[in-house]
Amino acid sequence: MADTAMIAKQPKGRHKRKGNFKQRLLNQKYLQIMALLGVLWMLVFNYIPMGGIVIAFKKFKITKTIAEAPWVGLRYFKEFFADDNFVNIMQNTLGISLLKLLIGFPLPIIFALLLNEIRNVKFKKLAQTISYLPHFLSWVVLGGILVTWLSKTGVVNDFLVSAHILKEPVSFLGDPKYFWGLSLISDSWKELGWSAIIYLAAIAGVDQQMYEAATVDGATKMQKILKITLPSITGTIALMLILQISGLLNSNFDQILILKNQINVSRSQVIDTYVYQVGMTMGKYSFATAVGLFKSVIALILLFLANKTSKKCLGRSLY
Amino acid sequence: MKKQFKKGIVLLLAATMVLSSVGCSKKKNDNNSKENQTVTTEATETDAATTEATDTEQTGEATPGWQEHADEKVDFTWYINFSWFTTPWGENLVSKKITEETGCNIEFIVPAGNEAEKLNSLIASDTLPDILTIGWYEGQVNQIIEDGMVYALDELAKEYDPYWFTVADEGRVGWFTKEDGHIYGYPNSSFSPADYEKYDNISSNQTFLVRKDIYEAIGSPDMTTPEGFKAAVKAAAEKFPEVNGQPLIPVGAHEFGATGNVSFDQYLCNFLAIPYEKDGQYYDRYTDPELVRWLKTFRELCQDGYLVDDIFIDKRAQMEEKIAQGRYFCMLYQRTDLQDQEKILYANDPDSIYIAVDGPKNSKGDAYTLPGTGINGWCVNMISKNCKNPDRAIQLFSYLMSEHGQHMTWLGVEGETWDYDANGVETMHDDVKELCNTDRTAYDQKYGADSTYWMFQDNAMALKWAQPTPEPLGQMERWTYPYVMTTSQYDISLVADSEEADIKAKIDNEWGVVLPKLLLSGSEEEFDKIWNDFIQKRKDYGLDTLIEKQTELMNEAKGKLGLQ
Repeated sequence: MADTAMIAKQPKGRHKRKGNFKQRLLNQKYLQIMALLGVLWMLVFNYIPMGGIVIAFKKFKITKTIAEAPWVGLRYFKEFFADDNFVNIMQNTLGISLLKLLIGFPLPIIFALLLNEIRNVKFKKLAQTISYLPHFLSWVVLGGILVTWLSKTGVVNDFLVSAHILKEPVSFLGDPKYFWGLSLISDSWKELGWSAIIYLAAIAGVDQQMYEAATVDGATKMQKILKITLPSITGTIALMLILQISGLLNSNFDQILILKNQINVSRSQVIDTYVYQVGMTMGKYSFATAVGLFKSVIALILLFLANKTSKKCLGRSLY
Repeated sequence: MKKQFKKGIVLLLAATMVLSSVGCSKKKNDNNSKENQTVTTEATETDAATTEATDTEQTGEATPGWQEHADEKVDFTWYINFSWFTTPWGENLVSKKITEETGCNIEFIVPAGNEAEKLNSLIASDTLPDILTIGWYEGQVNQIIEDGMVYALDELAKEYDPYWFTVADEGRVGWFTKEDGHIYGYPNSSFSPADYEKYDNISSNQTFLVRKDIYEAIGSPDMTTPEGFKAAVKAAAEKFPEVNGQPLIPVGAHEFGATGNVSFDQYLCNFLAIPYEKDGQYYDRYTDPELVRWLKTFRELCQDGYLVDDIFIDKRAQMEEKIAQGRYFCMLYQRTDLQDQEKILYANDPDSIYIAVDGPKNSKGDAYTLPGTGINGWCVNMISKNCKNPDRAIQLFSYLMSEHGQHMTWLGVEGETWDYDANGVETMHDDVKELCNTDRTAYDQKYGADSTYWMFQDNAMALKWAQPTPEPLGQMERWTYPYVMTTSQYDISLVADSEEADIKAKIDNEWGVVLPKLLLSGSEEEFDKIWNDFIQKRKDYGLDTLIEKQTELMNEAKGKLGLQ
């Protein structure tokens, strides 16, 4: 049972491979139709638009078609790497993402383990519900609230000053040095409960007999967590880790766009917001596409590497 | 039972799939045959043109085209490039009457969020609505004209509505005519330099505002010099640390954006009378020593804690709320932008309003040079090639441009909302005016005059029947009259996508980062260092190329206006 459903297993149901291909297709016709719809959806919304990537290598004008645009090779990639902002943007993107990976990633696991140990069902449900709540607020709404809370006269400063943690109120959004931390804390707070769900589900799948056996052998609670629960959900953790690593250059676009302002821009401009600013509001679509493509290629390489490492070290992988 | 249910679902799924695949193939066809389609529509239009042309010949030349077709109903989609425009068509008196008189029904299309994003996607997908209203300064205007996405208005007028030439203002047509001899967009709010000589009640939008009660309580000090300004701000903050229990914001400003803050760059330049050109060259106004002097003054105020965080962080929504609460002491601000809040303050306490007073002046004490609207006006109106009835569209344009149309959009329906008074001057009925001044939303819903539909507003013509703006807004408007000047020759827009536009975008974005840094810097040395780095960076970006291009465009504009 250590294998969770999330990880690809060997093709199951080998015994079903009877009859010829047509016969099987006919038998599964309803399932096939449903799967086909999904494939079709992917084709239309994910694969066909990918053709537009070519504009990263062309000088695209919005008044002309893509075919008419002249080829310019790697010009926009070079422009991006030579951009004054390049180093700064990469620093911010990687800085925020690594923080979220190192600190933001383990938090939901720990939270799930803690929740699992709560014996009082009512309290457990209450804790879960409260921790989910912020997830259901969109960043636009939450961002507006945070801007008010974090201002010099906001509740956060009121609390910190009256608790004598700070001597004087601090302008959290008005000082670039706080931005990375703010983005980590606010994101973790908002998504902690929600991200813990998947681990809770994995924990629920652990065979209870193991705990009973461990109890008989006289294991302590801590030993049970470390020796049974954690190893049992390693598969899920590995999967989530691989996905998170591949998204290293992704930032939480909504969150950063909302919390960013002209003072903290030196620490808050990330690839995603830069692409939005240059591509959407300044209309340089080719440049923005080139930056986006660069990001995707890095993500693919990271995914590949993470998967390979995981396969070697843990014997589990995405594919 | 269960099986039947299952079958039903499968059928439903199958149906969805078929439908969606039909949808896809149709879309694909649309894209493929885009060119074919344009060809066919053009062909039918030429047919229509010939019949139409014979019609006009029969009826004589200057009959308004709209009068002939009022019975033939036609629908237009009309794109407005401003997300704040939310008044629908067909619900109030004016729009109903216009539809009745012209036979044109209108559906407005307005961006939900970022305007550039919406406009760019409309252009890229070739789905521009029939009629377009876009600020003349947007780079996309030149783009869509150059790529032939809009009709030439003079050609349409020649074919379908010669009456257009009698209502179009010659000066404006001359200014907006492109090198190929055609005009593609007709402006609103446009004032020619001649208008400036003719009228003395042309106003500017830029004002220096102070909260009346606070300003008077500290003895109405002189705020035109850096010393006086600092002293006044400090006195106000000392005497009124709080407004209704919340801290006072001593100095207010517009929102800090990606390209700077108009309060601290453009408006301040205009108040300091920094020229637009020097020695025949387009002048780089932001580097003028007068501006630097005042920026340093603001830096000092910032260091002493009088430029509070709020102004750097707040977005428009927060600012509007704070203005309505009267939290700012003074600010360089657009007076028309706080009309609603001003009315709220006035209703609460007539002394708590904002009034315009003399603000920052340069070291020589020169009079302010506040730009009024120039020949470019505000927006241009265009007819896109996607429009199926360009004949009716140009006739609608003529209608709205004519004096009759201006009466309609400014004053409403004659006899119902206005009449000629004893002197033959158009006068709005008192009850209508009262509603307009007290509850604008209700007014828009019921009547929709007073330029609710401002797309063709002819402010120069409207001066004929203009009434003095009532208080509390009138004082701010009247204060600007003596300082207004025309800056048409300097209102130039670079072609989007050009090298110069690229340089300008880079410099503007850098300024957006540098300006708050300058104000927040801890010492004068730090300020100077940031400043010098910025000057160097602009040179590296290619400032000289940009200024050369701007000078060229400025001279071109002067030639067109006959100023040189």
